[in-house]
Amino acid sequence: MIVLVLRRGALSLVTLFLLATFVFFATEVLPGDALDVSLSADEMAMMPPEVLARRRAELGLDRPVLERYLGFLGGLLNGDLGRTIITRAPVADIVAMPLRNSIALAGVTLLLALPVALAIAMAAAQAKGRALDNAVSGAAIIGYSIPEFVTGLLLIAVFAVWWPVFPATITASTDDPLGVLLAAAPLAIATTIIGSIAYLGRILRVGLIEVMAADFVERLHLSGIPRWRILWLHALPAAMIPGLSAAALYAASLVSGVVVVELVFAYPGIGAELVRAVTRREVHVVQAIALAAAVCVVLFNLLADLGIAALDPRTRRA
Amino acid sequence: MTITRRTALAAAAASPLLGIDAVAQPSTPVRGGTLNIAQCSANRRSASPQNARHPYFLVDATTRLPYGCLVWVNRALQLEPELAERWGPADESMAVWDITLRDGLLFHDGTPVTARDVVASFEFHRTRSPFARQIERIEAVDRLTARFFLDAGNAEFPFVLGEYDSVIMPAAPPETIGLSGIGCGPYRIVSTDPNRSIVYERFDRYWRAGLPLLDRITLHNREGQQDSAIAGLRSGQFDVVMTIDPTAARQIGRDQDYVVETGGGGYHYVVQLPQHPGSPFLDKRVRQALAYAVDREAIVRLVYGAQNGWVGNDSHLVAADPNFLPRPALPRAQAVARARALLAEAGHPNGINLGTLYWSPQTPEAGRYFQVLQETVREAGITIALDQRPNDGYVQFRTGDNDFAQGRFHRFAMTAVGPRNPGISLFRMRGANVESGHWRGPEQDRYMALYRQAMATREDAARRAMFHDMQRILHEEVPALLPAGAMTFAVRRRNVQGFAFHPQIWSVRFDEVWRS
Repeated sequence: MIVLVLRRGALSLVTLFLLATFVFFATEVLPGDALDVSLSADEMAMMPPEVLARRRAELGLDRPVLERYLGFLGGLLNGDLGRTIITRAPVADIVAMPLRNSIALAGVTLLLALPVALAIAMAAAQAKGRALDNAVSGAAIIGYSIPEFVTGLLLIAVFAVWWPVFPATITASTDDPLGVLLAAAPLAIATTIIGSIAYLGRILRVGLIEVMAADFVERLHLSGIPRWRILWLHALPAAMIPGLSAAALYAASLVSGVVVVELVFAYPGIGAELVRAVTRREVHVVQAIALAAAVCVVLFNLLADLGIAALDPRTRRA
Repeated sequence: MTITRRTALAAAAASPLLGIDAVAQPSTPVRGGTLNIAQCSANRRSASPQNARHPYFLVDATTRLPYGCLVWVNRALQLEPELAERWGPADESMAVWDITLRDGLLFHDGTPVTARDVVASFEFHRTRSPFARQIERIEAVDRLTARFFLDAGNAEFPFVLGEYDSVIMPAAPPETIGLSGIGCGPYRIVSTDPNRSIVYERFDRYWRAGLPLLDRITLHNREGQQDSAIAGLRSGQFDVVMTIDPTAARQIGRDQDYVVETGGGGYHYVVQLPQHPGSPFLDKRVRQALAYAVDREAIVRLVYGAQNGWVGNDSHLVAADPNFLPRPALPRAQAVARARALLAEAGHPNGINLGTLYWSPQTPEAGRYFQVLQETVREAGITIALDQRPNDGYVQFRTGDNDFAQGRFHRFAMTAVGPRNPGISLFRMRGANVESGHWRGPEQDRYMALYRQAMATREDAARRAMFHDMQRILHEEVPALLPAGAMTFAVRRRNVQGFAFHPQIWSVRFDEVWRS
């Protein structure tokens, strides 16, 4: 297991290095540098070349690509993500707390959604083809299909306006303790959970149905082992393996992908910060958020791999 | 008598007709409590944790919570004393003004407010604030009196002292003044979350005895999120939502739990028309064509509703100002034909593409406003692309740093302006300003000569005649486009007392606001 952890960790580091390289070259070297992107077309057309050259020099864009790349990597190792173009504020300061908040939202969503999704999937798998299964499958499709902003607005209308038991909008500060922030965001959490349960429930249900039809389950039945024991101790761990990978990717996507939820509820997360950075053409902030999202994908995958290794001895031997 | 559900409902239904609130309100102000405000518009630069307490970076709706100005412009746009006890010109030229502070004023840190602080504050303002640039020098005459030396006589100079960029801060070097957030206003800053929220608490040694009444005020920035702000109001999170659009005001005004307040006077949008080398707006005929092509009535009708909006006259004056001179209007078909003819004269017989007009959601209806504008000018063959920019950093984006030699021009862009005295409003169309597009030429010279003459004139009627002449020049020259404006609205919960909205959002005061 230790070897596996080390191997996966090393692989993750290589992946992160490649991701950082990709993010750098995608945003800095491809046609149009940070200055091009931050200026409007009209402004570019009006500015004399010497002025553009001076602005580039101010932003360090006149240095050779390799030098900038090494500077970028060095900065990453030191936690220095550069400075914003407009205010010259450290990007790390801008990104840190929203990133923390988004990871918290994703984490809470997963913690609450996964057990519910699992329970629903087990119930549906047990009742495969019957009314309960059909109802669960139908509800999951509906839950997954409804856009999050519709769910969010509906929840606000019902639980904040008609029956005002929860806050409609989040008034907690960006750097409030996580407990305070999450306590102020029940409807935002509910909105992300509804979609998550629908998505994860479908994946886990399919996995469970496949496992329950496997030969080893059949043999266990023939051995006289009770059905509940087969389900909990044998089928569930096997069905969780694809589910864990899907859940990891889903959680990573939640970190930077719940922009709509963040905007509807004014949740101070990284998605809203990304929108702000894009509209302000703050290339370095976009770069940092893209990198943070990629790091989340790698880390959540690493966690999922370790979870799978714990559940499946074959992966530990591989 | 037995009170049944039916009789209770009947009484509740009848009470508004009788002029009685369904819930009796105590008439005596009560101290204590927290007021939660959501603000849907924004007029600020960028705020980072380093500068978020500085008066120039606050959302201006709360300027007068932590800070005070020498004078206050009241809801009728008349001057009232604030930190200054008295003011007046030191001589007949009206280029030297003496301002005397009240005695006993304190900053939030307990230090007394003196003329030295006034001098330090205006040493900062006069290099940063366009309205204060006329101040050539300031000196402390004694502990409480400061003397302002202007570059020319200005009968309306005291109005400058009530601006949001004219607050009094504890004396400090220009590079650090104001960063502490310490002022002498009714509330002190407790914490800030830049671009998102700010928390204030009562300053117990405020100069108005017994005020303010609330313990705490929190302001939540909901620019571009009016629906979220109103949902927050309906769910009980917010007590006041400021700067809602007329449609929202109409809808929520039907609900008995809320009271819609209007600031009167209103605000409007300036569309700045940059007149730098190579710009199509250098040609007066193009500017005139644009002024004819835009359907001002349509903007008023479609964006504001006829009762809430007013047609602008391409000056910074609002229609409610007694000095406002309406622009001569043509029937729509004639106006479009006139615009086309002007474009043809200017060498654009097939119409003209004016490039991108930048706008930011400074008020909730801004997007709709510029869409209507875009569509109506199309009838005259004028093509405009629209590009929305965020409020944060918009001022810098719109204005650039005006360094023409370096090619950093200001943009074809909008900004919202509030109502002010004519001295300030008409000064905004000076040549050396982005809002006039850096308008130049003999008519601009004549405009400024009239302005200087008006400012040195004490007599109101004579000044008004000059203001009218200045507006006639603007009608002809169109250095900028100001097509239409509207009243401003705020909504409060019925239990919020003592709140009056103000046509100048930076002049809204919360000293006497309380919760019943």
